[in-house]
Amino acid sequence: MVEDDELKAWFFREVFPLEAALTRFIRRNWRNESDVADLRQDIYTKVYTAAQQQLPLQARAFLFTTARNHLINTAKRAKIVSFDLVADLEASFPEAMSADLDRQLTARDELRRVQAGLERLPSRCRQVMTLRRVEGLSTKEVAAHLNISVSTVEQQMVHGLRALTDYMMGGQGRIRRSPPKTSVAKSESRS
Amino acid sequence: MSARNEIEDTAAYWLSRRADGLSSEEQARLDAWLDASAEHKTVFWRLEFVWEKTGRLVALRGPDSLTEVIMEAPPPATPRRVLTHWVAGLAAALAVVVLSSTALLWPQPAQYATDTGERRLVALSDGSRVELNTETRLRAAMSPDSREAWLDKGEAYFDVAHDASRPFTVHMGDRTVRVLGTRFSVRRDGDKVQVLVAEGRVRLSGSKVDPASRPVVLVRGDVATGLGASVLQSRTSDQRVDDQLAWRRGLLVFDQITLADAAVEFNRYNQTQLKVLDSQTAAIRIGGSFEAANVEAFVRLLQSAYGLEIDRDGEIVKISE
Repeated sequence: MVEDDELKAWFFREVFPLEAALTRFIRRNWRNESDVADLRQDIYTKVYTAAQQQLPLQARAFLFTTARNHLINTAKRAKIVSFDLVADLEASFPEAMSADLDRQLTARDELRRVQAGLERLPSRCRQVMTLRRVEGLSTKEVAAHLNISVSTVEQQMVHGLRALTDYMMGGQGRIRRSPPKTSVAKSESRS
Repeated sequence: MSARNEIEDTAAYWLSRRADGLSSEEQARLDAWLDASAEHKTVFWRLEFVWEKTGRLVALRGPDSLTEVIMEAPPPATPRRVLTHWVAGLAAALAVVVLSSTALLWPQPAQYATDTGERRLVALSDGSRVELNTETRLRAAMSPDSREAWLDKGEAYFDVAHDASRPFTVHMGDRTVRVLGTRFSVRRDGDKVQVLVAEGRVRLSGSKVDPASRPVVLVRGDVATGLGASVLQSRTSDQRVDDQLAWRRGLLVFDQITLADAAVEFNRYNQTQLKVLDSQTAAIRIGGSFEAANVEAFVRLLQSAYGLEIDRDGEIVKISE
């Protein structure tokens, strides 16, 4: 059993940096764009569970094999499997496995990207994120400084962090607001 | 709308909350949530991965940014450092004149010290409290517009009274820690410096000789270890923070550290000095909590529980397999 600390370090070092490539791979092989983020999360969960037994030596190969299998299984379950899909998957697989596809970001690139991601946020959200993460203020201090409530700061942090994560991982960095809590049925694509 | 969205919201909420410091009850709730499913954990990690990257933006902070304004006091009218260096370079006769004038400008710092195994609580005139651990030397100077302390050696826990107009600065060699009001401990061993934040936020500035070194802002649970020009920053759990501060209750808490390291810890507190003779014995892992002053009990434990050979030579206790 691999300890969580070790697993987490492995995800940070080997898996998350591949997210842009993984997302492209899923998008190319799945019709329904709105399933992409869910599929990706399913794949992470499966990778986590498998890696708990033993850390894979080849993270990239392991991640994309898991991704391919998951797409095929999900398609089968949804009864949308076609020869096209499997053929496409096989065709795009070697390409996804090639490391040249995603340029590793240098620390400087990464900083620029964080900055660019912050600049895309709505102004209040950006202000909160900047005070919190750049200036190092606490939630209470940010609330006092901007004269807004603590829960507003917390809400903006949730939106901001999610949007920034999306952007940093190769997405558009748009804010997605969750609708008010209702019982949410799991989408078809989930296992 | 998927369940993932809700999970991401929850994860982002916790990440943001955690940066402010969680109570042990909240930490337990977060841990339970994380352990509930592999999905929670991976969603949380993914956001944390980016959260950590945003922290690096601190490096881009301009000199006139908000934090500087809050945390930096206006520079003193006469730079003390220049004066001190100047004094060092002057002939003794001249120095006397200069020293007496500096003494007029700045009150002589009060000195506090502890012996081996001693702990001492010091109440400063600004309302701050400092606990000194064994073999520690501290000087402190409180004035109407500044609060300064110098840790010459040893370990101290600061509970700094909040005063936004007077930042509290602790000097450790050429490193400084600057705060408004918070709780933290510092340990100094030669030019090795360790800062542990128990509450609030502190700012650790690098050595002055290296202009490239940037100050780091530490929050609850952060540990920074500085040696030479480098600073290693890491996070630790609330439990570990408590363990590291156990000396305030006269305890040493070891989490599977080597016997060699445990011996070094005990030796800080006692005249009796433990000496581990061979590398195999030195590598034995020790866990548990011990009275720092009761080295005899620890030695008996090594003898009975670990079956180690104990050989006494005056105040030296030799340990081997």
